[in-house]
Amino acid sequence: MTLSRRTLALAGVAALLVGAAGVAYAQSTGAVTAALGSGAVGEQADGYLGFRGTPSEALRDEVDAINIKRREAYTKLAAQRGVTVKDVAATVGCETLQKRVATGRSYLLPDGVWRTKGADPIALPAYCGS
Amino acid sequence: MKQAIPFSGFAAAALLAGCVQIQAPDKPIEINLNVNIKQEVVLTLKKDAEDLVNNNPELFPQ
Repeated sequence: MTLSRRTLALAGVAALLVGAAGVAYAQSTGAVTAALGSGAVGEQADGYLGFRGTPSEALRDEVDAINIKRREAYTKLAAQRGVTVKDVAATVGCETLQKRVATGRSYLLPDGVWRTKGADPIALPAYCGS
Repeated sequence: MKQAIPFSGFAAAALLAGCVQIQAPDKPIEINLNVNIKQEVVLTLKKDAEDLVNNNPELFPQ
């Protein structure tokens, strides 16, 4: 009886932890989404997210976490295709710049200059092809 | 026999002078090659990159 109560208590604690983690995750992606909307964070031609200006520590942590996961996915695909991680990352960069930067949002080209997306499509780097 | 040695030396010098002139255009050619290879790699990876972005929405927040 004591054991089952303890088990129940543990399960309750576990459920609380999972719930807290879920809330933290929702908040974190919310922060990045908001920063994308304001232009403080944007897609880079190198396939990662970057900061246009100096971010808060919390925002930097969230974006870093996303970039680490991206790098993980790029590394996996690069190994499957026998190319470098940079090749995969740059190709994803072409893709995000072409399709996932909405008007008014920030993006970074290989020249190192942050720009704001206007009505026209982004002038992609030559290696992206047409 | 004694005359053949200075003559071959002259010939070698002439060849070397020719080599030095050829070296100049090497660099730009190499750069163009790199860009072409990269574009080809990007083209072959394009579909994979598209899938990666579409299948991992948590990594590509909007």
